[in-house]
Amino acid sequence: MTFVDIIAALSKGAAYTVGVTVACIATGFTVGLAVAVIRRLGWRFAAPLTNVYLAVFRGVPMLVLLFMVFFGLPSLGIQVPPLAAMMLSLGLISGAYLSEVFRGALNAVEPDEILAAQAMGLTRWQTLRCIELPQMLRASVPGMINEFTTVLKYSPFAYTVGIPEIMKQATALVSTTMRGVEIYLAVGLMYFSIYWMLVLGVWTIERCFRVPGLTHR
Amino acid sequence: MALLEVRHLKKTFGDRAVLDGISFDLEEGGIKAIMGPSGCGKSTLLRCINRLIEPTSGSILFRGQEVTGRDTDVRALRQMIGFVFQNYALYRHLCVLDNVTVGPRKLKRMSRREAEGKALHELQRLNVADLRHSFPSQLSGGQKQRVAIARALAMDPAVLFFDEPTSALDPVMAREVAAVINQLHSENVTVLCVTHDFELARSVADRIIFLRDGRIRAEDTADNLRNHYDDHEIRTFFGPGAAPV
Ligand SMILES: Nc1ncnc2c1ncn2[C@@H]1O[C@H](COP(=O)(O)OP(=O)(O)OP(=O)(O)O)[C@@H](O)[C@H]1O
Ligand SMILES: [Mg+2]
Repeated sequence: MTFVDIIAALSKGAAYTVGVTVACIATGFTVGLAVAVIRRLGWRFAAPLTNVYLAVFRGVPMLVLLFMVFFGLPSLGIQVPPLAAMMLSLGLISGAYLSEVFRGALNAVEPDEILAAQAMGLTRWQTLRCIELPQMLRASVPGMINEFTTVLKYSPFAYTVGIPEIMKQATALVSTTMRGVEIYLAVGLMYFSIYWMLVLGVWTIERCFRVPGLTHR
Repeated sequence: MALLEVRHLKKTFGDRAVLDGISFDLEEGGIKAIMGPSGCGKSTLLRCINRLIEPTSGSILFRGQEVTGRDTDVRALRQMIGFVFQNYALYRHLCVLDNVTVGPRKLKRMSRREAEGKALHELQRLNVADLRHSFPSQLSGGQKQRVAIARALAMDPAVLFFDEPTSALDPVMAREVAAVINQLHSENVTVLCVTHDFELARSVADRIIFLRDGRIRAEDTADNLRNHYDDHEIRTFFGPGAAPV
C-alpha cells in the first residue's frame, strides 16, 4: 500500500469532514449573525435568552454537548441524526463565538455614520442592513477565519456519533494495515489542505468585497 | 409663511437646560447661520429640529405643520432636512456614487438607474462627478464635504442643515465650501448653518443667530453684530479684533 493509496482510501472521509465543517459553519454563521443583530437592536425580552445561549455554548465542552444531543435527547424521545447533532453542538458553539466577533465589529462602526443614516430618514433596520452589517462583515473576516478553522479542527468528533469522516477512516485503516505513521501523516496533510482551501475560500470572497481604506491586512 | 418656525424650544439634559427657549424663523430660500461659543447648544438645536434628539418642550412648525408631536412622521420629516455633518459621515464601505444613491433608493424607492442619474446630477452640481467611483478614504476633506452635500441634496430636501461645515478644512477649502453654499443659495436652497467661522457666516448668511447658554442673544446681519452692539458678550464674540473662536 503506497502513500497515494492511503490518501485515496482516506479521501472518502474527506468529503464527510468537509460536509460536517461546512454545515457547522453555516449554522454558526446564521445563528451568530442573528444573535449579534438581536443584541444590536437591543430587544429587551431577548437579552436574557441570548445571554443564556452564550454562557451555555461557550462554557460547556463540545463533546459533552454533542453527547447530550445525540445520546441524551433520544431518551426524551427525540431522535437526532448525526449531522444535526453536530450542527446543534459544534454549529451552535461556533455561533456563540461568532456572535462575539460580530459584536466587536459592530461596535467599531463609526457612530456618526449611523447618525447620518438616521438623519437621512432610514429606519433602524435599513441602517443596520445597509450601513452596519456590510461594514461589520468585512471587519469580521479575521475573526471568522479563526472560528471557521476551529470548527474544522473540532470536526473529528463527528466520528463519535458515527459519521465516517477522515479520522474514522484512518483508525479503520490503521487497524487493518498497522501503518500508523504514514496514515496519520496523511491525515494531517489532508486536514491541512482542507484548512488552506477554507482560508483561500474566505479570502476569495473577501477580495470580491474589499473596499479601499476600510480594512487592512 | 416661513419654512421653519421654532418657538420656545427647550431641551434639558438632566437638570441642565441646554436649549432654554429658542425662537426663530427660517424663510424659504433664506440662509441663516447659528454662531456661539462651544457647548452653547448649536448641534443640539439642529438635532432637535430633525428629532435626532427629542426636544423637552416648545414647538417646531415645518411648513406650518407641528413636527414635535408624538404622531409626527419623524422619518418623513428627516427626509425633508438634508443634514451635513462636520466630519462628513460618509459611509466608508460605499463608493461616492453609492453614498449618494442610498437615500433615493431606500427612501424614495428609485431604481438603481434612476438613483444613479439623480446622484450624478448632484455630484456634477458639486463638481465631484469624476470621483464617483472613489471611496471615502481616497478623498480629501473638501471633496468629502462636497460628496456629503451631494448626498443630502439627492433627497431633494426642503432645507439643508450644516453643522460646522468648515471646521475641519483649511482656509482655501473653507472658502470653497462658502462658494458652494452661495451657489446653492442662488439656486434657492434654504440653509441653516452652524459655524464657528465668522467669515463663512458673513459671506453666506442673510442673518446670524448668536446663541449663548441655550438662548438667542441676538439675531442680526454680520455687519450689525460686528459694529452696532454694546452688549459685552456680543462685542467679545463678534466685535472688531474679537479672537477667532
Ligand atoms: N446626550 C447628552 N447628554 C448630556 N448632555 C449633553 C448631551 N448632548 C449634549 N450635551 C451637552 O449639551 C451642551 C451643548 O452641546 P452641543 O453639542 O449642542 O454644543 P455645541 O454648541 O454644538 O458645541 P460645539 O461648538 O463644541 O460643537 C454641551 O454642554 C453638552 O455637554
Ligand atoms: Mg456642535
